[in-house]
Parts: sequence; structure tokens; C-alpha cells
Amino acid sequence: MAREVRCKTVEEPSLVALAKTHAATPSFKNKTASGSHLSNVHLCISSSCFLSGAGQDVGRSCILVSIGGKNIMLDCGMHMGFNDDRRFPDFSYITQQGRLTEFLDCVIISHFHLDHCGALPYMSEMVGYDGPIYMTHPTKAICPILLEDFRKITVDKKGETNFFTSQMIKDCMKKVVPLNLHQTVQVDDELEIKAYYAGHVLGAAMVQIKVGSESVVYTGDYNMTPDRHLGAAWIDKCRPDILISESTYATTIRDSKRCRERDFLKKVHETVERGGKVLIPVFALGRAQELCILLETFWERMNMKAPIYFSTGLTEKANHYYKLFITWTNQKIRKTFVQRNMFEFKHIKAFDRSYADNPGPMVVFATPGMLHAGQSLQIFKKWAGNEKNMIIMPGYCVQGTIGHKILNGQKKLEMENRQTVIEIERCEPGCCHLSLEVKLQVEYMSFSAHADAKGIMQLIRMAEPRNMLLVHGEAKKMEFLKDKIEQEFTINCFMPANGETTTVITNPSVPVDISLNLLKREMALGGPLPDPKKPRTMHGTLIMKDNSLRLVSPEQALKELGLNEHQLRFTCRVQLQDPHSDPDTLSRIYTHLKSVLKGYTIQHLPDGTVMVESIVIKVSSSAEEPNTKVLLLSWSYQDEDLGSFLSTLLKKGLPSGLSSM
Amino acid sequence: MGETSSVENEFDDWFIESLKIYNNIHEYQLEHPTRVIEWTSEKTICVAGYSSDKNEILELLLPLKLFTDDNQGLCAERDFKVVHGGFSDGSIHCLKHIPGTRCVVTNDGFNSNLQVWDLGGEDCDVIKRTGVLQLKSASSDKGVKIAPGLTGDPCVLHGSQISDIQLTELTSGKPLYSLGKDIPDLLSSLQFVSGSVFLACACNGDLYVGDTRNPSGLQNNPAGGREGVHWCMGVKTDLSSSDPSSCSVARLSSACQVVVSDLRDLRAPLFQAQLHVQRKTTSDDFMKVTWAPALDNCLAVSGFDGMVRIYDTASWRPELMEFQPLFIHRGHMMSDDQFDTSSAVVTTHVWHPSRPRTVLSAAVDGSVHVWDWVDKATASC
Repeated sequence: MAREVRCKTVEEPSLVALAKTHAATPSFKNKTASGSHLSNVHLCISSSCFLSGAGQDVGRSCILVSIGGKNIMLDCGMHMGFNDDRRFPDFSYITQQGRLTEFLDCVIISHFHLDHCGALPYMSEMVGYDGPIYMTHPTKAICPILLEDFRKITVDKKGETNFFTSQMIKDCMKKVVPLNLHQTVQVDDELEIKAYYAGHVLGAAMVQIKVGSESVVYTGDYNMTPDRHLGAAWIDKCRPDILISESTYATTIRDSKRCRERDFLKKVHETVERGGKVLIPVFALGRAQELCILLETFWERMNMKAPIYFSTGLTEKANHYYKLFITWTNQKIRKTFVQRNMFEFKHIKAFDRSYADNPGPMVVFATPGMLHAGQSLQIFKKWAGNEKNMIIMPGYCVQGTIGHKILNGQKKLEMENRQTVIEIERCEPGCCHLSLEVKLQVEYMSFSAHADAKGIMQLIRMAEPRNMLLVHGEAKKMEFLKDKIEQEFTINCFMPANGETTTVITNPSVPVDISLNLLKREMALGGPLPDPKKPRTMHGTLIMKDNSLRLVSPEQALKELGLNEHQLRFTCRVQLQDPHSDPDTLSRIYTHLKSVLKGYTIQHLPDGTVMVESIVIKVSSSAEEPNTKVLLLSWSYQDEDLGSFLSTLLKKGLPSGLSSM
Repeated sequence: MGETSSVENEFDDWFIESLKIYNNIHEYQLEHPTRVIEWTSEKTICVAGYSSDKNEILELLLPLKLFTDDNQGLCAERDFKVVHGGFSDGSIHCLKHIPGTRCVVTNDGFNSNLQVWDLGGEDCDVIKRTGVLQLKSASSDKGVKIAPGLTGDPCVLHGSQISDIQLTELTSGKPLYSLGKDIPDLLSSLQFVSGSVFLACACNGDLYVGDTRNPSGLQNNPAGGREGVHWCMGVKTDLSSSDPSSCSVARLSSACQVVVSDLRDLRAPLFQAQLHVQRKTTSDDFMKVTWAPALDNCLAVSGFDGMVRIYDTASWRPELMEFQPLFIHRGHMMSDDQFDTSSAVVTTHVWHPSRPRTVLSAAVDGSVHVWDWVDKATASC
């Protein structure tokens, strides 16, 4: 019965610890015997969340959620800043208890960025996991391309070993089960998941995880404002117990997309006007397409003649995927797609290696985005010495890459030995240097599409969670946001620090089956007809058996459980001043009750007792004080209400005008 | 469909134009519109909501990009950071930072009480209300204008009309100075020009010079303004100079006239101008005129429509003539979300204290823009 929701990021190995769980047995506010509110059974369930965040560092995402006894891994990212084992999440705390496959019920990947999916082949093929991996169709299509791309750089170029192979990527992808937006997928009998549109990048999804009446929503990276190629994140009022939101940008108010684009165009325009060349290192998919649409849209209006090239073998593939997944783009692209494919550009042409030496201005988009290898690095080396040229870095670069170095203002680059050797072997003499002067203008522009403070509020407004959990942020700087969320939505907001456990009490509605007989009996007792909106008191016995809750009549419960009924009687003494003989007083009580309790069975028995239903009343007095009568009342537990009523009534005394017979 | 694309074209045209006319432009969208932008340090500003219900006060850190002159290209940080935030039960019509403190004083525009807030430090990001100055006022329903004291212990000069102008010590709530003259004219602007001398502009355009050392001395400079015209004032002060000519006063009228004078003689206009503005709002609430602190002779005007206009007063003359602005910021009318250009009204603007052509402005839709326009004179050569 006891259920818990547990979240944990498998982040820095040093922080990995087992989440403390609080398994609580259900405790009912009202005992069945004294009547419970039928429609309002309270069940206390402790949920503990253990998270170790990555701060504002672009680390990796890997969160473990335990809900209703199910374990789900959310994202399986790679840390791009490390070249050793630390780049992958540490799964040892799971594997020391057994295989991942036994422990995990499923793995869900939110989007194709490597800090969210880069460790997937390592996890499934090298650590070993054979269960289902869920991701959206676009993520499923693009993820292996990026993984293979990165593998090539790491293994073929840098010569690293102990990395996953192409075959491993393929084998890993065979375990992937595609997700459609808004489609509920039943992982097993109890666990179901549902994907929602997250904006951010093509195919990015937020995911709802549900076991019974409990649910968690994990946002992944999301964006609440549409851009040139994607729409805004959307979720219905699914009221999850916990909404886990990324909060790296929670205290920012984002500059508009338009101003970011304006800056980009301004820089490109200025460079081309002065006859320089612009290099834009990009990831093959995502930001590249957006910037292409931007240049394409304004090239003519800005009266530009310089050629634009898209330098990668992935161009066709990328466009192919965007065509395939047109439903994942924004409304405008979908609308115009009928007449014209927004990704088939008039001004942007395929690049050939030889073009880099052409005289005159040009704009080149080249992969990879961090300038750590490949074509973008080759072009960079050719153009770096000319101050008329410009390099625009549209995204984050991890430590150790050339991109990272030049963004830190480094003007002289020492090429890595191994890399240089390869380059010398491959390039014509004269174009390679052991050290490289960076004279070209370096521009850093962030186009990442993340939700800011306003976006987080919008998402909470949409999903209406019962508890809010902000991860990857700095708690000290988010006190105001926490207050704001708690005041505006009257929910709890948690910002667990690294290694901190958060316990969340949830109040799920627990369905209870009620026997027809009991219902009929209650109906027969009169009163208004049952109304689902109004709680109503009724008597019954709750049986918890075989993972189900049933409310039945006490008789049925006794029969089913093979128990003997215990008789429970209450007795009570009431003192009364009545100057009559004991039998007369009893008669007077009989007459009095007869007039007050219409419709009840009241008997005056020859053995000197009065019985009202099951309630027995006797009269006695002592010889010293014959007028002080002691009434003895006794009733069974079933007649508790009537018994209490009678004792209260008789304490008030008897009316004076009563005849004794 | 056709209509949409024509609006979109206008939008795109402005976008292309903006490449040439701005060095930098940043556009932010607050959850709730502000009518105050107040510098609280070299790099932070305060904004606050003015809805009738619950409001937020935010202290925002300006993006790093605005403060790096070398290698600006390497800095991608262009977002505001909410460094401190707090909640106000009332509307915030007026917000002033007390120099040298972490304190701001606010008024809701409907009563005479002043709320005192502590902006908080490094260890906590919450802005807390630390006190209320309960003040008596004759026409409190119009709210109170506030001017922070420039020297000495933290104090504020405040009033809703000329007669109830008072200087109050912030920590004790003790009145240090009150005018005590029966001039019921409503106050529109109030500002210190030195440690003790202040200027007060009445809504009818009359200018008063007061001195907190001398409660009985108040110099009146009637404007002889027209009936029904609302005036406000912008003052350029140079605290290091005692030359009265260095203190320029610009008065802006609801009839879109600007009259400039200086402390030598506030009655006679040095020069004036009729501005060519088509008013988009009948309210005088948001009218604002300010002098550029780091650019000679330039002033900014807003509050009539969705634009902020910059004027170079160097060419203005003593006679009233129409002059064209040096620069117009139309950004607030080119909103990303709705193309409704008619409803946009700029609520306030402030100049960057040291960057000559950088202005921050806000509008009724919650937008806040930081922009740095290109000086055509230097750009062309």
C-alpha cells in the first residue's frame, strides 16, 4: 500500500547516495467504526526527492524517479567537460544492487542534446540495460546521428578508448520505443507515461509519469516562447503531485529573441560589408536551421549579395528530418510548408572545402559547434589570422575545446599534439601551425531557448502541480521566486540543494469499492441522495486485502474474515430527583419517552425495565434518599447515537405534569 | 492575411532599420508593467507593478554586456537578473532610492503614506518592507511625490501639494522641515538641486524654489500657464558646480510644449519648443521629461504615446517653434506579441548615468527596453 515518489539525479559521483525513503502505512483520519467520510479518505504518502544539481554549469542531466514502486530514469546525459569516466553518470549505486534492467522500469529521454542523451549507449550497452527507452520520433531519429558524430570525434580524432562503438549506438537505438505527443503509453499494468511539447529543440518533450493516482511531470529543457522554427511548450491541467522543472534561468528576465537575432544580423552584416568572412560553428540540427531561416529571411531585404554556405554532410539529412517532423515545428512553418519548405533555402548553398580559400566575403555554417574538430575547425584555422573576419559562436562551448579557449579571449592557440600531427598529415604544408594567432573578431551569442522566471510561472499555471521542485538552481538566489510560487499558487516549492532530501506529503484520492448492500442500507436510512461533491458520513467496515480497498457492512466483513462479533455495551448512570416510588418513576420515564421518541420501539417490560430499541433503562434508589433516583442506562455500540441522546435527555429531568401510568 | 503581412512588413522594416540606428537594443518583458525605473546602484535598477491589487518590487541587475566596453563580443550575457524581489499590497506609483543606502521609498499614488523598503543584501534575495511613514496631507488621494535627500542622514522630501512639502528623516520619521505655506496647488515634480535647495513644480506649471534651511523662504515663479494644462519638470543638476546657470529646468506640458529655463531666472524661458506629437492617451499620468546626464543639451520626452523622443535643445530659441527630435525610439510600438501599435504608451524612462546615449524605457504592456542609439553625426564620418 505504501507509496512514495522519489527523485534523484545521478550526477556527480561523489554526491551519489541512496535516497532516504519514508514508507508510510495509510492512516485514516476517521476510524471506520465511528464513521468515515466516504468521499474523502485521507491517505498519507511520503514522497522524498533526492537531487544533486549541476548548478549553472552545463553538466549532464540524469534523474531517477521512484513512484509507486516504479523506478524511472529521466535523461541519460553526458558531461561534455570531462574526457574520462566522469563524463558519464555513475550508475554503480544501482548496479551494486543488481542489474539496471532489474532495477529500472523504463528510461525516458527528453531531447537529443548530448547533455541529456549522450550517455545512453554507455548505459544500455556497456553498463547493461535491456528495458525500454522512450523518446519522441524526432529525438529517436536525430539522437543516433549526434551520438555517432560525437563518437567519431572522440575516438577517431582524439584516439580515446573505452568509449561506445557505432554498433553499440545501433544496438542501443533498437531498445528505443518511440513516443507520440499526448499519447498515453502503458509501460506496464501500473506505469503510464505521456509526452508533451516542450519547444526548446526539435522533438523536445516534457513527460508525465503516472502510477495510480500519483504523478510526476518532468520538464527537461523547455521554452515558453515560440521562435522561428519551434512553438512554445504546452501541457494540460494534469495536476501532478510534483512538477520537476529545470531552473537554470529561473531568476532571469530574458532579452527578446528579436534583439538576439538583431545582434546576429548586425554582426554578419558589418563583417560582410567590410569584405570579411563569417564562420558560424553550429550543431548540425536545431540552432543552425533557425539561423539559416533568419539569414534567408533578411538577406534580400538587407540587400546582401555575399554567398551563404551550409557546410556539412548533414545538411540533407537535417532537412530531411525537419520535413519528416514538420508537425513538431511552429505554426508558421507548418502553414507555409504547403507552398514552400522553409528549410529549402534560396540563398544558402552547400559548402565545398575549396570555397574556404575563395576571395571576398562569405558566411559559412559549419559543424561541429564547439570547434573541437572537423570542418569548422579547419575553416577556423584558415580564417583566424585575418582581423576582417569574424567567428560567431552561437552556443556554449565546453572546457578544453578551441571554442572555449577563444571565447575566453585567448589570442594564441597551442594545438593539441595529436591533433596537430593528424592535421599535418592531412593538410597541405603551410596551412597548419603549432600555434595559431587569433586575429579575427570573436562574437559569443547565446540562442539557447530556455524558460525564464516568467516561463516557469506560465508552466505552473498550465499544469497546476500540487508541489513544485526546482532543480539546477541556486536556492539562496531563488527565495523570492519560491515565495512568489507559494503565494500565487498556494503550493509548496522545493529547491533541494545537492544531496538534500525533500519529503513531500501528498494526498491522493484513494478509490474505495463499496458494497451494494451497504449503499442500499444507507439509502434506506433516508437523508438526501448521494452527491459526489458532498462528503457524507456512513458506517461500514473497511477491508484492505489483495491491493484493494472495500467498504462493506460489518456483518459481511465478519463473515468474510471469519471473525466473531464482539459485543460492546456502554452503560451510564443518571441521577434524578423524583419523589415517587421506583416503579412509578419508571412508568413516568416510559410515558415521557413515548411522547418524545415517536416512531421508536419502546417497551415497558414486566421485569422492571424500559427498553428503547436495544437500550435498557432501570431505576433504583437508596433507602436513605428515596427521592434520589439512579437511572441505569445500557446500550450496545450500534445504538451509540440514540444512547447518548437518551442519557442527555434524562439528565434534564422529567416534566412535572407526567402521570405515572 | 493581407493586413497581417503589411503589419509584419512594418515590423520587419523597423527591425532592419534598427540594425543601423541602434548600437545596442535589449527588449525585456516583465510579468506586470512598471511605471518606475530607478537606479539603485551603477548596475541595478528597481521596477515595480502599479496594478490595484498585489504588486511586486524587483531589483534587476543589468546584463553584463552593457558594462563591458572591451571585448563586448565575448560577453553573451544579455539577460536581466532578478537579484532581489518583494511583494507590495498596494500599487507603486512613485519609487525613489535613497543614495548611499539599500533603501527605497515608495508611494501608491492614492494616499500620503510612504513605504520604506530594504532591498536586501548578498545573503538574501527578498525585499522587505521595514517601515511606513504615516503622513498627514491635504490632498492625499492624488498620492505623494518624493525626492530623496542628497546629503547627510537618509531623508526624503515629499508632498502632494506645494503647501504640505516636508522633509522627513527616514530612520526616525521625524519632520526636519516643512513649508507651512498655504499653496494648495497640486505637486507634479520635486527634486533637490543641492544639499538643501529644492525645486518643486506644480501641476499648473508654477515653479517654486525652496531651501530646507530656511522654512519661510519660498520663491514662486508663476508660469502663467493655460488653464487645464498639466505640467511636469525635469532638472539637470551639477552638484559640483554652484553656478546657477548649470542647473537647467525643463518643463513639459500636456499640450506638448517644453519650456527650458535655469536657476538664474526661472520666469523667463531660455528657449522653448512645440513638440510634434500625436497624443495616444488622454491621461497625463505618464508624462515625463528628463535631461541626459552625460550628453550636452539633450532631453528625453515620453508619456504621450508609444515613443520616447530625444531632443537636442542646442538649436532651440526663446520663441515657441516646432522642432524635430534627434532620435525616436519606436520599439515599444513594435511588440513581438501583438502588433497593436495604437495602445502602446510609454510609462517612464531613465537615462544611463554615464553612457551618453543609453536610455531605459518601459511601457504599459510590461515591456522594458534598454537602448543605445547611434549618433548620426559621428557615424557618418
